[in-house]
Amino acid sequence: MSRALWSRRRRAGLGAALLLMSACSSEPKTTPTSTSQTTEVDPSTLPAITLPDLSQMDKAVQQQIGDQYRSLQSLIESRSTPPHDLARAYGDVGNLLMAADHLEAAEPYYLHAQALEPGEMRWPYYLGHVYMNRAAPAKSIASFERALRLRPNDVATLVWLGNIYLDQGQPELAAMQFTQALSAQPGVVAALFGQGRAALAQREYSRAVNYFEQVLAADPRASMTHYPLALAYRGLGDTARAEAHLSQQGTVEIGPPDPLMAELRGLLEGAVAEENRGVRALDSGDFKTAAEHFRKGVALAPDNPSIRHKLGTALSLMGDMQGAVEQFQETVRRSPGFAQAHYSLGVLLAVSGRRQEAIERFSTAVKYEPGYVEARLRLADLMRQSGRPDAALTQYAQVMTIDPRAAEAQFGYAMALVQLKRYDEAHRRLTEGMSVHPERREFADALAKLEELRGRQ
Amino acid sequence: MEGKFYYAEIIAPGAALLDYDNDGDLDVLLVQGSRLSALGSGKNVQGSGDRLFRNDLQVNADGTRVLHFTDVTEPSGIVSRGYGMGVATGDFNNDGCTDLYLTNLGPNQLFRNNCNGTFTDVSKQSKTDDPSWTVSASFLDYDRDGWLDLFVGNYLSWRAESSTPCSTPSGRPDYCSPNVYQPQPSRLLHNNHDGTFTDVTVASGIAREFGPALGVSTADFNGDGWIDIYVANDGQPNQLWMNQRDGSFKNTGLLSGTALSAHGKAKAGMGVDAGDFDNDGDEDIFVTNLTGEGNDLYVNDGSGLFEERSARSGLGGASRGYTGFGTAWFDIDNDGWLDTLTVNGAVQTIEALRRENDPFPLHQRKLLFRNPGADPSGSARFEDVTARGGAAFELSEVGRGAAFGDIDNDGDVDVLVANNNGKPRLLINEIGARNHWIGLRLAGASQNVVAGLNTRDILGARVGIVRDDGVTLWRRARSDGSYASANDPRVIAGLGQSTRTPRVRVIWPNGTTEEWTTVAIDRYTLLKEGDGT
Repeated sequence: MSRALWSRRRRAGLGAALLLMSACSSEPKTTPTSTSQTTEVDPSTLPAITLPDLSQMDKAVQQQIGDQYRSLQSLIESRSTPPHDLARAYGDVGNLLMAADHLEAAEPYYLHAQALEPGEMRWPYYLGHVYMNRAAPAKSIASFERALRLRPNDVATLVWLGNIYLDQGQPELAAMQFTQALSAQPGVVAALFGQGRAALAQREYSRAVNYFEQVLAADPRASMTHYPLALAYRGLGDTARAEAHLSQQGTVEIGPPDPLMAELRGLLEGAVAEENRGVRALDSGDFKTAAEHFRKGVALAPDNPSIRHKLGTALSLMGDMQGAVEQFQETVRRSPGFAQAHYSLGVLLAVSGRRQEAIERFSTAVKYEPGYVEARLRLADLMRQSGRPDAALTQYAQVMTIDPRAAEAQFGYAMALVQLKRYDEAHRRLTEGMSVHPERREFADALAKLEELRGRQ
Repeated sequence: MEGKFYYAEIIAPGAALLDYDNDGDLDVLLVQGSRLSALGSGKNVQGSGDRLFRNDLQVNADGTRVLHFTDVTEPSGIVSRGYGMGVATGDFNNDGCTDLYLTNLGPNQLFRNNCNGTFTDVSKQSKTDDPSWTVSASFLDYDRDGWLDLFVGNYLSWRAESSTPCSTPSGRPDYCSPNVYQPQPSRLLHNNHDGTFTDVTVASGIAREFGPALGVSTADFNGDGWIDIYVANDGQPNQLWMNQRDGSFKNTGLLSGTALSAHGKAKAGMGVDAGDFDNDGDEDIFVTNLTGEGNDLYVNDGSGLFEERSARSGLGGASRGYTGFGTAWFDIDNDGWLDTLTVNGAVQTIEALRRENDPFPLHQRKLLFRNPGADPSGSARFEDVTARGGAAFELSEVGRGAAFGDIDNDGDVDVLVANNNGKPRLLINEIGARNHWIGLRLAGASQNVVAGLNTRDILGARVGIVRDDGVTLWRRARSDGSYASANDPRVIAGLGQSTRTPRVRVIWPNGTTEEWTTVAIDRYTLLKEGDGT
């Protein structure tokens, strides 16, 4: 289960006001030119920046940001600190705040860093991201363009800039950025994808098809591409191809190779940060690394049921069933209402043949979360397999109420009826199942067996 | 707000504009929540209670209007249970009086209007007491039998007692994302014409796909004369259920181009409305989304295939800084082109507000966009006129529901905004009446002898207003759309400066078409099925 939080959200109006204040205080003393590295501001003229309230953050994150801030303060107080060292110290605080999702708090640190070290590309680049995520496209474009002047062929900057132009309804400008990115690094998938989007926005469907097909050829995992590709085929009148691609539509996004942002993602300490890194490792199939991150997260936040449950999941995927059971048990001991841990325990118990205990776990899971379809379905299956078809029928019926799509519940219900020798009802249920779920062979197979059984009787 | 970041507390409320007492003006229903921790304790908790306010509109001889509302909840017999989310309105029993369907976190409630100022809770006997968490619902006549059926848009499986803790990357507690919880299937309930409904979710095919539904809008998207259903889902692909004319539906969301953003990503669909913003005779779709995503405009080619024009229209980029909820296509200035308004409010803490010690750091401003009018290339950009909208648009609030309708009967569309953890706002339109207009109530026959009513509102009827410049404005009688809210079912069409009487063509939900040529301008007219030519 993903714990990804929704996108960053900030109020644009307030953001603009803050920017104005910061810009007034830090930038007027510089004369920003494209590549000059000799226009650093006098550090003593930079206004002081305070930290936001860190009190509700993880202790480890508070400590980390606090330490970085104190380090910055000592460099500021030492009048002999070279401007570029001071810039990096400001930037380091900004990085931590940005990694902690405190974009507005990060902004003045980056602005100071930029003022002190105008030749460094990272500061306008990070500012570009700050503004992009705060839905301030004009400022984001200005910052990314400044970063490009310092590093003209930076692919990540070009792709992000192109994406912003697309979002602003300017596909022609977007295409120029993607073209430049492809010129700098031929075949880069994110730029090909951007070119496809730009072509689609301009209703140039053949060109769009061409680009999107190149994306899929280069990276078949980029399943999100199938949707715009389908729309491009639809634009060409080729509905069959469109539908073929829609059936492959997925959620794997395409982003540019972005070492600077990757660096940020690895910065933060703290339980949630470890959890996020663990989830990324889990998603990429690296269960051992995932378990390591989750274990660190558990050490930092032992009462967080979600992280501990994920640790158990990673351990089970590594084959360490005993370790997994211990983590799931500890999760429900500390958080008795955490239904997923009961469910996971139930699954492991069922696999090891401890049916009654598994039934108890699944029952507890649905007690705390009545709409938990998987848990209720497993409960029903186990009840049926344990010779309790009447009880199973009740659970299957509830699953079908909660999720009418659940073919497994419909099938299980019919099988429980067979166990109860209620053959006519079972026959009707299986026939219905065949009609509603024609793709599921088990309904037809069971119906054939049922008819054979009735024939014998 | 209880300080525990209960997910359900940031989702509501909605509101309704309806004429429950048939006195010709719109009354107000406000949805309310209650204490979620008390609900979670298993105690028998009475909700704060949805409130019904009667509109005692006074129109003076000089045309000025005085609005006054009286809380009639108690005499009305409306006793809402649990934690209120939203409301849908429609005359499900064809007795000429508008009934109420209240959506809840927990069993929904259907209140039958007794046509005497009171309501009766008929949830159980009508079999509409869906126990899931419902936010938006819609009354629609999907089988063209003259009786309103009910689409119930269900959201997520969530309970206070098993609420999952969530936090930001820094570890600060915050509201969860919807993908932490399981979506619940929506329901389609068929009207049996006897005060009861039958759940046809599986038989109709609606059960095949579902997501966490937040917004519902029903319209005839492919022009075949049968009502279709569009569902905005939170973080999962939206669905466009095309009516197959045999009681079943097929989801064409993906192929139609309305399921995802243009680059294939599911957005957090919240509010939705369908309307013919480009006056080309078909229903276009507008969906409000999460901060960082921008709202979406899907432009219909008339066959039910759409092109996403969010960025090109300017509606997408300008809304990226906002989390949009209630919305509608409506002609704010009666110039004949549909404009749009969204009420906004975040669903996770806005850090800048928290730093200012704001006790409820989710508030955002509303957005108002003016339609620029005709542009055959389709590249016209909406104009952000929020700053010119008046004092109400300077307020920053946690907007959720919005109901649209002419509450002072002066010929333009006003807006009732339902705020989360805040006062509702009634925005009175001060510019629409500067242009000419026609107002239509689309009605069929009712045989309510007891109450002396012989008309009933017909939802889903389409109206073509043929102006003297040759342009036909297509509008639809509807109460659904927006977010968790119910709109005025009357149709207002702006005529600009024209004083000529337009021709009016009505396509009734049963497929018949009638015309009227003597509809007066600048007033409301009742168009009754069978009275046209």
